[in-house]
Amino acid sequence: MEDAGGGEETPAPEAPHPPQLAPPEEQGLLFQEETIDLGGDEFGSEENETASEGSSPLADKLNEHMMESVLISDSPNSEGDAGDLGRVRDEAEPGGEGDPGPEPAGTPSPSGEADGDCAPEDAAPSSGGAPRQDAAREVPGSEAARPEQEPPVAEPVPVCTIFSQRAPPASGDGFEPQMVKSPSFGGASEASARTPPQVVQPSPSLSTFFGDTAASHSLASDFFDSFTTSAFISVSNPGAGSPAPASPPPLAVPGTEGRPEPVAMRGPQAAAPPASPEPFAHIQAVFAGSDDPFATALSMSEMDRRNDAWLPGEATRGVLRAVATQQRGAVFVDKENLTMPGLRFDNIQGDAVKDLMLRFLGEKAAAKRQVLNADSVEQSFVGLKQLISCRNWRAAVDLCGRLLTAHGQGYGKSGLLTSHTTDSLQLWFVRLALLVKLGLFQNAEMEFEPFGNLDQPDLYYEYYPHVYPGRRGSMVPFSMRILHAELQQYLGNPQESLDRLHKVKTVCSKILANLEQGLAEDGGMSSVTQEGRQGCSYLVASIRLWRSRLGRVMYSMANCLLLMKDYVLAVEAYHSVIKYYPEQEPQLLSGIGRISLQIGDIKTAEKYFQDVEKVTQKLDGLQGKIMVLMNSAFLHLGQNNFAEAHRFFTEILRMDPRNAVANNNAAVCLLYLGKLKDSLRQLEAMVQQDPRHYLHESVLFNLTTMYELESSRSMQKKQALLEAVAGKEGDSFNTQCLKLA
Amino acid sequence: LALKVMRLTKPTLFTNIPVTCEEKDLPGDLFNQLMRDDPSTVNGAEVLMLGEMLTLPQNFGNIFLGETFSSYISVHNDSNQVVKDILVKADLQTSSQRLNLSASNAAVAELKPDCCIDDVIHHEVKEIGTHILVCAVSYTTQAGEKMYFRKFFKFQVLKPLDVKTKFYNAETDEVFLEAQIQNMTTSPMFMEKVSLEPSIMYNVTELNSVSQAGECVSTFGSRAYLQPMDTRQYLYCLKPKNEFAEKAGIIKGVTVIGKLDIVWKTNLGERGRLQTSQLQRMAPGYGDVRLSLEAIPDTVNLEEPFHITCKITNCSSERTMDLVLEMCNTNSIHWCGISGRQLGKLHPSSSLCLALTLLSSVQGLQSISGLRLTDTFLKRTYEYDDIAQVCVVSSAIKVES
Repeated sequence: MEDAGGGEETPAPEAPHPPQLAPPEEQGLLFQEETIDLGGDEFGSEENETASEGSSPLADKLNEHMMESVLISDSPNSEGDAGDLGRVRDEAEPGGEGDPGPEPAGTPSPSGEADGDCAPEDAAPSSGGAPRQDAAREVPGSEAARPEQEPPVAEPVPVCTIFSQRAPPASGDGFEPQMVKSPSFGGASEASARTPPQVVQPSPSLSTFFGDTAASHSLASDFFDSFTTSAFISVSNPGAGSPAPASPPPLAVPGTEGRPEPVAMRGPQAAAPPASPEPFAHIQAVFAGSDDPFATALSMSEMDRRNDAWLPGEATRGVLRAVATQQRGAVFVDKENLTMPGLRFDNIQGDAVKDLMLRFLGEKAAAKRQVLNADSVEQSFVGLKQLISCRNWRAAVDLCGRLLTAHGQGYGKSGLLTSHTTDSLQLWFVRLALLVKLGLFQNAEMEFEPFGNLDQPDLYYEYYPHVYPGRRGSMVPFSMRILHAELQQYLGNPQESLDRLHKVKTVCSKILANLEQGLAEDGGMSSVTQEGRQGCSYLVASIRLWRSRLGRVMYSMANCLLLMKDYVLAVEAYHSVIKYYPEQEPQLLSGIGRISLQIGDIKTAEKYFQDVEKVTQKLDGLQGKIMVLMNSAFLHLGQNNFAEAHRFFTEILRMDPRNAVANNNAAVCLLYLGKLKDSLRQLEAMVQQDPRHYLHESVLFNLTTMYELESSRSMQKKQALLEAVAGKEGDSFNTQCLKLA
Repeated sequence: LALKVMRLTKPTLFTNIPVTCEEKDLPGDLFNQLMRDDPSTVNGAEVLMLGEMLTLPQNFGNIFLGETFSSYISVHNDSNQVVKDILVKADLQTSSQRLNLSASNAAVAELKPDCCIDDVIHHEVKEIGTHILVCAVSYTTQAGEKMYFRKFFKFQVLKPLDVKTKFYNAETDEVFLEAQIQNMTTSPMFMEKVSLEPSIMYNVTELNSVSQAGECVSTFGSRAYLQPMDTRQYLYCLKPKNEFAEKAGIIKGVTVIGKLDIVWKTNLGERGRLQTSQLQRMAPGYGDVRLSLEAIPDTVNLEEPFHITCKITNCSSERTMDLVLEMCNTNSIHWCGISGRQLGKLHPSSSLCLALTLLSSVQGLQSISGLRLTDTFLKRTYEYDDIAQVCVVSSAIKVES
């Protein structure tokens, strides 16, 4: 560096300025062909007085020890400059460059029904009347059937009709709560003696369909039929739409229940007292819904229980308890406390890549661009997954929207009463997650809004005791809670993100503490613990799950703090993540090291990188070695030694020629070494070698930047890139990195 | 020929947006798989936001005084003919001077089509205000025509730091300097070095770390960096070197204390360095005769005599003094010994030590006052009040404690 004799570098202010005459080059300025104002704006005049007097306010003057402003350069530094410093020319663009906001198009696109409609209500395959033998409860069919067709506008208060033996409430919505008699009604003792385990409802969980994708017997199309019936009835609604068969033989349950889940059936079942409805209700009241062995044992698989567990807030708990106890009356829940989501915008699909092709390459070329859209795949979860995995996220968002429309939560349905199922919540999760992935944060925020804080009573299984008998916990996937919290930080409210994450963390910690004491997730007596070894393994698995969830929350917190640039806390948080994910220790330590580098704290970075070296020595794998080399390269970068950094990146490439990061970073180093052409060659070679893998936003951004630097013909080269992208990338590609616009 | 210029600030690390799901969720492993396939995520720790992928600077950004301005200059032959005798010259015009930044001033003999001449220039920015990078290219075409063009790139250099200082004069000759350094940039700033380079008259001790369990710990704790607009306060203690302290007359009036040398780093080790101008302070005026304390107990017993030692220095330039000492009692302080005694002649810049005895009749924090020195030559009297304070306690309490 040239600053060896630093003492002289910044001349003392007393040294008189060279008089600021017109520079001799003044004439040159007249001839200038082109002036590019990199600063972007006019600057404060230099005639300002020096700051030392002006800067000390009166208050300081009164002070005996007056603060003095000190000149740090020879040029007059006006205080007025200070205001200009905060300017960053190019703030992060608001993510939704392409988001159209809610489209005025009023109605949900009819195509959603068009493809899979025509399943009449009575064809609901899911199962006949609630075939539970023991719980002598009556299942009204109305509940599940209500949400579709005409929205029940007239109904001011949602009524959770659990037991409607009395005259059906006069409701203006055209729906009649149908009385469905449980087959066991009146003959409970007899029935419970029979107890055919295969009668148990399949758990309404998606795992049935998606646990093992390929080998699954249950064809997605089967599933889909049920999914898009015009009167949408989820498979998981056992009582949905059943025309009140008084006494079907419980064994003859048709449809999808290929997988009975006999897990929890035996013990408590045997212990169940043969009871007529009346006494049973009393028992339930006594148990107050908190840890009813019947309920827990009934149809809730262990997996579900573990995954769905959540601790509702005070108010919600009250409602749920009321639902569980008030068998006879209706539970009134304020509309404000219900979740009434709906699509807020109809269609964000569209293909930015194609648009650009139309603009720059002409229609002919654009016509070649073929990507899957929502119409070209099966209208089901399978099609959805297909769209996601080939990165057509916009189309996937669209398909989610269609499926949700089929569920009665389509465009414009926000604020209308509806009911929720495991599947509808999952669909919402996927849709919102994809919106976030696409950077359409505003849109995600809009559609998240009706979900409130994800703690409303109707998001709990307990709210639908007849649909999900005995099942407990929250329908909201845990990942959706994370997403819900993280979204705020992308919208510029990281503090809100942190608050939400802390709430999630509190619940996770509480559940974990309960488990560690051998209790159930919600703190009740664990019914499984009594089952000896099996219960023990449940507990272990559950603790593992919740630990990893807690770790995930910590991860999000750390990321959020990083975004807030609160590096000290972020580093602390990443340290605590290591406790939950010890296998990620080297990566996390490297990450912390990079944070230090970003701040400029080279020494601390070095310390962390050394720690990484120690940790990876134990592992001795290629990955560990690469990590160490990568860190060394970054360290040299921090010391302004691009040549050495390049050497290390190249070393990684020798060991792992397909390492995209090293490849890209080596090319970047080359540019800083003044080797533009070499750098370009390296990046181009990389992209050509494996376009599927390397056509990444960051790589392309670097490439286009270098094209711009290289010559005036960057446009052609960018268009060539566009063509390459068109052949490989889905509609979720962020075209901004091509800098074509 | 075409000329392109790009400022080379440090590259940045790509951050991705992690979206995960659990196995039981609808997409199954799909989201996680997508993140694993994304080359910008960290292998094995995909949720970690801060990736390893470097991206080139996306805009010119801000440049601050003391930082190094680096720029890539590329001259590309866009034509289809060979060009000869290319000379690329890069100058930086500041408000006061013009600097040549090109690494070499030799002309390149020829440039084939689609080839380029690359140069990376560096310059440590030493002035605030408008800078203009002037790039001039001259060449000869195949037809022998001499061509010349230039481009101007204007940018502003901003002030990165705000430094404020405050001096405290101790009763001894030490001087304490408090320096507040504020980060005026828009990025976090790691202070690599903030040191006071004293002028020849002083020795400096930095008071910015404390010893904890044998280790030197910075008073700033683990917060090693300054957020934008954050201010940090540094403290230094300056002691006059012995040879200057002896000659009392020298440190007088406005003196130069030294200057602060500040080195900081920002994104990925982008370095900046500044020095302040010479810091000056007004040494406290002591008049002609200075009375300073050499020894005094901090706590004394009520109504019990105690001793103090004073040092009397003749600070005048060339006047010999003949001093008489008087001691006047105050409400609480009672001097023991003879008032009005002769101290003898005192030559310029010399001093004498004086042991005095006194007692206090009042408890609490008492100020020692009431010393008078009279120069019999000039008939001038110097009064010394509030020389120091002692804590007076009753003897009974003292025993207890």
